[in-house]
This record gives sequence, structure tokens and C-alpha cells, in this order.
Amino acid sequence: MLTILVFLPLVGLLAVWAAPKQAARVINVATCGVALVVSVAVWMQMDLAAAGYQLEEKVDWIKTVGIQYHVGIDGVGLALVLLTTFVSFVSAIASWRIENQAKGYHMMFLLLLTGMLGVFVALDLFLFYVFWEVMLLPMYFLIGIWGGPRRQYAAIKFFLYTLFGSVLLLGAVILVVLETGTWSIPEITAMAKAALASGEAGGILGSVGLSLAAFIGMFIGFAIKIPSFPFHTWLPDAHVEAPTPISMILAGVLLKMGGYGLIRIAYPFFPTAAVDMGLVISVLSVIAIVYGAFVAMAQTDLKRMIAYSSVSHMGFVTLGLAAGTEAGINGAMYMMLAHGTISAMLFMIVGVIYERAHHREIAKFGGLAWVMPKYFVLASFAFFASLGLPGLSGFIAELTTFVGAFNGPHRTWAIIALLGVVITAAYYLRTLQKVYLRDTPEQYKDASKYPDLSPREWAVLLPLAAVTLYMGIIPSTAMDMYNGFIRDQLVPVLNAALEITTRSFG
Amino acid sequence: MDWSPIYPAALLTLGILGVLITDLVTKGRRPGVAIGMAFAVLAGAGVWALGLKTSGDVVLGVLVVDKFAVVFTVFCCVTGAITVLATTRGEAFRRPGGEFLALVLAAVLGMSVLSMSVDLIVLYLAFETISVPSYVLVAMRRADAKSNEAGLKYVLFGGVSSAVMLYGLSLLVGLIGGTSFEALALAVQTPMVQQPVFIVACVMIFAGFAFKISAVPFHFWAPDVYAGAPASVAGFLAVASKAAGFAALVRVVGVTVTAIPQGLADPLGAFWPGGNVWFPILAIAAVLTMTVGNLAALKQTEIKRLLAWSSIAHAGYLLLVMCVWTEDALAAMLVYLVAYLFMNLAAFLLAGISIRELGTGELKAMRGMGRRHIGLAAAFAIVLFSLTGLPPFFGFVAKLQVFYAVFDQGFVWLGVVGLVNGVISLYYYARVVKSMYLDDAEDEAPSKSMKLALPDGLLCALLVAPLVVFGIVWWGGLLDWATTVARDLPYIMGAGR
Repeated sequence: MLTILVFLPLVGLLAVWAAPKQAARVINVATCGVALVVSVAVWMQMDLAAAGYQLEEKVDWIKTVGIQYHVGIDGVGLALVLLTTFVSFVSAIASWRIENQAKGYHMMFLLLLTGMLGVFVALDLFLFYVFWEVMLLPMYFLIGIWGGPRRQYAAIKFFLYTLFGSVLLLGAVILVVLETGTWSIPEITAMAKAALASGEAGGILGSVGLSLAAFIGMFIGFAIKIPSFPFHTWLPDAHVEAPTPISMILAGVLLKMGGYGLIRIAYPFFPTAAVDMGLVISVLSVIAIVYGAFVAMAQTDLKRMIAYSSVSHMGFVTLGLAAGTEAGINGAMYMMLAHGTISAMLFMIVGVIYERAHHREIAKFGGLAWVMPKYFVLASFAFFASLGLPGLSGFIAELTTFVGAFNGPHRTWAIIALLGVVITAAYYLRTLQKVYLRDTPEQYKDASKYPDLSPREWAVLLPLAAVTLYMGIIPSTAMDMYNGFIRDQLVPVLNAALEITTRSFG
Repeated sequence: MDWSPIYPAALLTLGILGVLITDLVTKGRRPGVAIGMAFAVLAGAGVWALGLKTSGDVVLGVLVVDKFAVVFTVFCCVTGAITVLATTRGEAFRRPGGEFLALVLAAVLGMSVLSMSVDLIVLYLAFETISVPSYVLVAMRRADAKSNEAGLKYVLFGGVSSAVMLYGLSLLVGLIGGTSFEALALAVQTPMVQQPVFIVACVMIFAGFAFKISAVPFHFWAPDVYAGAPASVAGFLAVASKAAGFAALVRVVGVTVTAIPQGLADPLGAFWPGGNVWFPILAIAAVLTMTVGNLAALKQTEIKRLLAWSSIAHAGYLLLVMCVWTEDALAAMLVYLVAYLFMNLAAFLLAGISIRELGTGELKAMRGMGRRHIGLAAAFAIVLFSLTGLPPFFGFVAKLQVFYAVFDQGFVWLGVVGLVNGVISLYYYARVVKSMYLDDAEDEAPSKSMKLALPDGLLCALLVAPLVVFGIVWWGGLLDWATTVARDLPYIMGAGR
């Protein structure tokens, strides 16, 4: 079933290739729609109360080196798979107006979808790495061919940054595989647990220094994707230059792979190293939150501002993880889901106005609320969701993360991170006022040039808004999915690791 | 006496004569006959070699037939055959006449003998049998000044490095009192190897190999020669010539690897793991070759030059895995060479076709190719990403095997240098892709669509398809095969460091 889900987009890709140009977008939306339905079916089939991976499929792939085609899913994977199919579906609708080389665009889009889904269900490190890299190529072309004026620079920067991260990741993976003799993620996780139980601080690599090196390699590899300060500089360029639907996917799903990699691989494999590095990661997270927010405030370009707000929000993910508490990691996961939908919505909001005004300068807008009232309502909804208004999903995520971080070992830094929330509120409110309120400049008064939301735009924004609201009111639906893994697997391991490291230092 | 091991070589020799005579008889009016003949001879020799009994017996005291020799003979025959085909499709140069075909056959003959030779004199002769035809092949386009210049450069560099190698060989022969590998294998067990002159001889011999495999600092000829030669010839040199060089290097290193220079072993303990005399030579050459090749490739603006530097960098990866010197490492090297064959032949074929279509190899001219011919550009992109080592292409699994072997033996610093080089290489490969897809054509005039004939397409598909097939499904079997070949090497004592 998971195999069907992962390779379904490839079938769509072939269909796009064979079909005439006009049908490409229809096939893309249909394929993403079917993928969404299949992922919901996966959800229905799963027993969320049960521990471990479900719907596993395992076939020997390359016997000589013990590589298997091994996929499976648990609550953490499920939550992100659902996010992926959902965001891809609305992005596919948002891609309706792509006319330049439409076939190529939709083929790349579907290839990207396969890569993303594959990463979330792969349980073999080799398979994981292949999917991880497979995403790179379509993204490079999507930004580079269909992007904005500085698309080439942005595409190559994105490519080089992520490849650099991937190579560090590959080095760490090879080290792990050589030492453990298996590529299987669940097996290595079990070994790491067993090593902890025997009080071995060196973990699966048998050496504290090597574990630390491998963890740092993996952390940088994933942090570039998140992107965490100071590896974030590719993000504003890539986000700003990418076409709107691709920005939505980039912010909505791609950034989540980094967090997923940390939760699924880096933390469980090297719990002691992770705990050792907790302070460093906390500090980097707080810098990302506060500095990201300040930089966002200084932006004059609406899309760039939102890109930096992503840096700021993704800081919460690493902050929650570094805390190592149940609430902290829960908050980190929730932040990934909430940010996935909210940022997709925000980029669509920018896309809507860019399509009409052909610029994104915050200072040049004004009073759009009177011209496009429905649009204004949804835009302010997204802004408030992002700044963490209670009742919407962003609030739950920030609250849980803070609760977790306060209870964790790096409390001081969590307090400083609160500052970020205030700044975030400041820049969103200021932008809201500048762009939508004020007096309407003459040029925007022409209602024929500035029509309110089209049905297609409604179809993109409304589902995203609905999910944001739902997640803000009933967080348990999502939290119940993955809490089992965090409560029963990750947190005990991290606590045991904390004990070992404090013992060895004390 | 069983003469069968040298039948493929004999067939190649007859083929040389046959092609020349055919060309004389038809007075060059029907080039197809000679081309077909050369192709048949190469294919026949390859198939014949496959059927040889790989007993490991030494014939005439100078040639050995083992799996390793068969693999490289087949490898060079395949490359030669593809080169013959590619030359008829590549950038325009006068019809590939009898002399061209005869030279390719002669070079392949040299390569086949080189991979079998277990005698220092035969090794040197085979070396020259490759070099001399190659010099002429490079200078084949007589009217083209660049081609002539490249030929001359190649001769000069080749002559010098060959002389240095010969000097090294003479030192070695003087030390061991014989020319056979058997004598060498016995001699390295004696205190002979403690004399510094032994190391000097090794370094000098390596100079000859370094020229053939275009390793730094004997690489200077490569960019000029590849740029000046027709693309198909450049591909032939980059693949077959280099592979043959590696085959012979493996044999020579294999015999002498256990030599332990006692006097030097202790002070440099870290640099002589297991007392492997070749380790420092290979490791330094590997690091330099990878790094210089990749860094220099960054600045190139012409496709053949870029591919030349990239092939230098790839020689570095191959040297890297040779440093490790385990069975796994040798198997990884074989897998890498197979990947390298398809990637580079495809790259040079595609370069040749685009030069023929565009009239120039400048990257600037390739702008907008993604729109002008979807298939050609897509094939090119696959080849370049495979060269970078991105999954799911063949280049990735080959690189993975290399780094796996390197990390496995604990050479972390070497592995890290290699990985960093992998990132650097992405930049210039991606730049070509960027030219094809992301940049708009400069002027509207050449933005007409390009037309490719069916043979072009078939040949491209033949070379590109394995990059995807091996990358996704098939490489387990390939690895098993490579491991059995590596195990079968004679004269490799104490495999493992």
C-alpha cells in the first residue's frame, strides 16, 4: 500500500508525458488527489495505538551489501505523509496557471512528490538517502526554470547547500552502517537503545568522539534542510525566486524533512551526542527564532519577509527537540505540521497579490482590504495563525514547545525565545496595516485589475485555512498520531542518555 | 602449448591488416565496409575473450589469462567498438577511413596485451603500443591546427613520461635481476626493498602510469588533447586508455604491495599502513588528482575541456580506492570503471553530437538546448548527474562503493576529501545542465529545433540506459561479479592492508 502511494506520482508522471500539453495540469491535480485519498486510506488502516511500524513491506534489494527495499509507517511518518499529500494537492491546484513548458513542470512536480513521500516511509538508510536526493533534481529545475528573475542563482545555491548537507549525511550514514552492519533504521534504533541500556556512552559507534562527529554531520545535513541558523541563507533566495506553488511545497513539506530526519534518525541513533549538543542546538534555535524574526521585520519584499518568518518558526522545531521532553518534541512535531499548512497559505496569499500587482513591495501596497475584502479576511487569518493567535494551530505549536522547553535542561534560552514571538507579532501586524489597511493608492482602485479571489484561489486557500483552524481547536487528532512514538520511544531514550552523560561528566 | 589465450589479440592484429587492405581495395569509396569490419573484429575479439578459460596460467612466461585480464580486454573492445560507431556520428571530421580504424584496433590490441602482461618488458611494449596509435588518433584532423597542437603535446608528454618510466623499470630490473613478475614477487620478500632506490623506482614507474591515467602532476596534456581531438577519440582515450593504465597499475602494485621498507616504516608509521609502499604514492596522487581536477573544471567554458578535467578528477577517485587495497576496494574499482565507461563514453558522444549540431563546444552555445531537443538534453542531464554521483544513477552506486571501501578501512580523512570533492564537482556539472535548461538562448536565430538521426538516438540510449538500470536495480549482481574478479587476481599477496 505504501509502495502504491510512493510510486503513484510516477504513474502520473508517465501519464503527463504521454498526454497532450493541455491535460498535464488535470493529470497532476488528479494524481495528487488520488495520493491524498490513498494516504487517508493508509491512516484508516493503521492502528495508532500500536507501537512500531505498520504496513511494512520488505524486499531484498542488493543482497551483497544487505540493502533492502523496506518501507513502513508509524504515527510520525503518517502525520507528515498526510501533510505532504495535502499540501501537494492544493499546490497542484495553485499550479493551474503555469503555462511555460507545462508538461515539464507537472512531471517535475510529480517526481518531487515521489521523493517526498519516499523519505517519510523509507526504513532503510540507503532507500532514505536515495529518496532524499531524488527530491533535489526536480526542485533544482522547478526553481531554475519556472522561478523569478534571479532563479538561476537561487537554484544553484539551493542545490549546492543541500548537496553539501547530503554529503555530510552520507558520510555519517556510511560510518553507522559500517559499525552496525545493517542499513535498517529500526534495527539501528534498537541497537542504540540497547547500547544505552548497557550504559555505553559511545552508543552504536562505540566511541563518544565518533558518535559526536557522526551526529554533528547528520545534524548539519538535516539543519540545512530545516533550515536552521547559520545554514539558512539559501532559503530566502529559493523561496523568493520559486514560483508560488513550489514555494508552498518548499515551505510546507521540504523544510519538514530536516526535522523528520532529526526525529527519526539523528536523535534515536545518537541520543548521547544529541543530549551533549543540546545546549548548542538550543542556542542556535533561539538565534534562529529571534534573529529570523528581526530580519523578517526588516524586509521590504513581502515574500522575503515570509521566507524569514519560516526561519524563525523552524527555530521552534529544533528548540523543542533540544529540550528532549515529551512536550518539547510534541511541540516540534506540531510546529512542523502547523507551519506546513500556514506557510503554504502565506505563500499563496503573496502569490495572489503578485499575480495582480506584479510586485511584492510592502511599502507600495495599501488599503487592499477595501478592494479585495474576501482576500483580506483570509490574509489576516493566515497572518494571525502565523503569529500564534490562540485558537489557530500556530499557537498550540508554540505553546507546547515553550512548555516543553521550560521543563527541559536549557530553560534560560527558552525564555529568550519568547522575545521572538513578540517581534513576530510586531512585523505581521505592521505588514497587515501597511498592505491591507491605510488609504488605497489610486493604482489599486481599479476593480477590474484587482478582482477578489477566484474560485481556484478559494480552492487553494480554504482547505488550508480549515485545517489550520481545526488543528487550533482540536490538536489531539494530530498529536495522538505521533505521541506514541515520542512518549514511548524517543523521550525515554533521551532521558537515559541524559543520565549517562551527566553521570560521566559529574 | 595452449595458444588459445592470445587468439583475441591475434584476431585484433589480423583485423588491423584487414581494415587497411579493405580500405586500399575499395579506395576509400565504401567506408562502410571497413567500419563494419573493424566493428566485427572488436566484437569478435571481445566475445572470444569472454569464452577464454581463465586458468591463471602464464603463457610464454609473459602473459596471464585470468578473469581480470578478460574483463579489461572485453572492456577495451567494447570501448573501441563504441568509439568506431561514435566517430561516424560525432562532430564532422573526414570519414573515419582505414587508417583511423587500424589505429583504434592497434590501441585496443595494446590495451588487451597490457592487461594480461606479467612481465616488465612486455608491459612496457604494450604501453607504447597504446601510446603511439593514440598520438596519431589525436592529430587525425590534419587541417585543424588545434588537433595538430594536441597531437604534438601528447607526443612530448608521452615521450617524457615513458622515458621516466623506462628508467624506473631499468632500476627495478637491475635490482631484481629479472623481468618477470614472478622474479619481482620473490625479490620483494628480500631486503632488496629496503634500499631507497626501490622506492625511487616505484615512484618513477608510477610516473608512466600517471601519464596514462592522467593523474596529477602528469595530467597537463589531458585538457588540450581532449579539446583538440575529435570527441569520440577523446572519449576513447578517457575511457579505454585510462582503464588499461589502471589494469596494469593494479598488476604492478599487486606484486610489490607487500614490500616493507623497514628503514622507513617506523618514523612514518601513520603514512605506511601495513607497510604498503604504494600507499603514500597513491594517496598523495589521489588527493591531488581529485582536487586539482575538480577545481580546474570549475572555470572551464568549453564542454570537452570540462569533461577532460572531470575525467582527471575521476582518475583521482579510482586512485583513492586503490590506496585501500582490499578485495572490496578492487571490486569497487571495477564497478566504478564500468560506470565510468558508460558515463564518459556517453558524455563524449553527446558532446560530439552537440558540437556537430551547434558548430562549437562552448557552453554558451548550449543555452536553450533543453527546448531545442528534449531527448538529447535529458540524456545529457542524466549523464552529468550520474558523473556527479547523484542517486538514482549508476555514478552514485559506484561512488558509494568507493567510499564504503575507503571508510571501511578507516581512511576517514581520505574519504572526507573525496566527499568534499563530490560536492565541488556538482557545481560544474550542474552548470552545463543550467546552460541547457535554465539559460535562454542568446539570439533567436539558432533556437530552431535540433534534429537527430535515429542512429544517434539509439547509440545515446544504449549508453545512457545502463546509467539508470544499474543505478536502480542491477548493481548487486555487478558487485558480486566484480568481487569474484578481484578475488581471482594472482600475485596479490595478503590482500588487505
